[in-house]
Amino acid sequence: MANMDLADLEALADFDADGALRETLAATKASANDVSILNFALTLEYLETAFYEEAVRVGALEGETLKFAKIVRNHERGHVTLLEGALGSAAVKKPRFDFQGTTENARTFRATAIVLEDTGVAAYAGQAGLLDDPEILTTAVRIHSIEARHASWIRHIVGKVPAPKAFDEPLTRAQVLAAVGKTGFIVG
Amino acid sequence: MTDHVSVELVDAGEARAAAREDPLSYSRGGFLRRALIAGGAVGVGGVLITGLPGLPGFAGVTGTDVASAAETKDLATDILNYALTLEYLEAEFYTRASASGALRGEARSFARVVGGHERAHVEYLQKALGAAAVAKPTFDFKGTTEDQDLFLATAVVLEDTGVAAYNGKAADLINDKAVLAAAASVVSVEARHAAWARDIVGKTPAPIWLDTPKSQEQILAAVGRTGFITGGV
Repeated sequence: MANMDLADLEALADFDADGALRETLAATKASANDVSILNFALTLEYLETAFYEEAVRVGALEGETLKFAKIVRNHERGHVTLLEGALGSAAVKKPRFDFQGTTENARTFRATAIVLEDTGVAAYAGQAGLLDDPEILTTAVRIHSIEARHASWIRHIVGKVPAPKAFDEPLTRAQVLAAVGKTGFIVG
Repeated sequence: MTDHVSVELVDAGEARAAAREDPLSYSRGGFLRRALIAGGAVGVGGVLITGLPGLPGFAGVTGTDVASAAETKDLATDILNYALTLEYLEAEFYTRASASGALRGEARSFARVVGGHERAHVEYLQKALGAAAVAKPTFDFKGTTEDQDLFLATAVVLEDTGVAAYNGKAADLINDKAVLAAAASVVSVEARHAAWARDIVGKTPAPIWLDTPKSQEQILAAVGRTGFITGGV
């Protein structure tokens, strides 16, 4: 990875593409069901974004882990912006978070990132079959595979198998919310 | 360098990212511009899927709620056969690469693990399609399974292509929840493979914040240009 240009990568990651997509999504008359699913996704994206923002701000990361945190933070910010734009006034508010110190050292950061990303993959997989609108579905799957790339990347960084199974197991919304609840990361 | 193969994956969106990292091209075989399989992988209309098998390892995704409308089933059959063709390609690629003895270190374990996944995807799709499953094509990987660097470069392209292919079909499956849910459990594994392969070769595992879906036409044209599928479709 030494030959990679980090500034260039960050520019890529920051790339606020697809204004057209956001417009299309925002213009979509989402069903109440889809609004609910998008708000669930938005909550998870808020969580991930805040986690990576705090980790970068705290300054305990370096090397590949820091690069991962910055690039993934930018991706998650993009997902938040996209979902907020799609939901408009129906968007849930950003919760308050307490990451329980996991952003303060590289080891706990990486372990937590694996859980958050693997959970994100399972959450999107669990919702894909429940969406009503095909455009929203397409956007959701485009995010879903990025979460899987993040999960694979951070697993590789710590030496875990990036793709441990032939089929990723979906989780229901209730399962995801219960798992997130147990972390204590969302405080209000 | 008398021969040249260019495996072109993407045309928009992610292309900007991909092109800046490096346009994937390598030399081999002179006849690679032929589009060998365009349109040939699908078209099994009229055969009904009666249900999807449960996914191995977990409950909850079964074929019991496969939509009843005949046209939905025709569409699902076509899409599953399209997926099966891509999975045949990937599975054979890794199986041959593992058998070639050319891989070392992490490339070797990557090929073994990912090959196992792709073979599981093939088995799953064959089971789902039953008699409607397309036959396995014949392949010629142009030496890419016999050289570690070519293998890894090709793996990146195949996996990124797989992600784009599955994402491109999601909206067509909106009325077929069982197939969609199964596809969602596969696409993220393809994305994990893609990120893993990219990391091994020093490319950003997640180069952009939204993956770019590709149409079946785009995917089949890109696969056709590789010349990897030589017959049987």
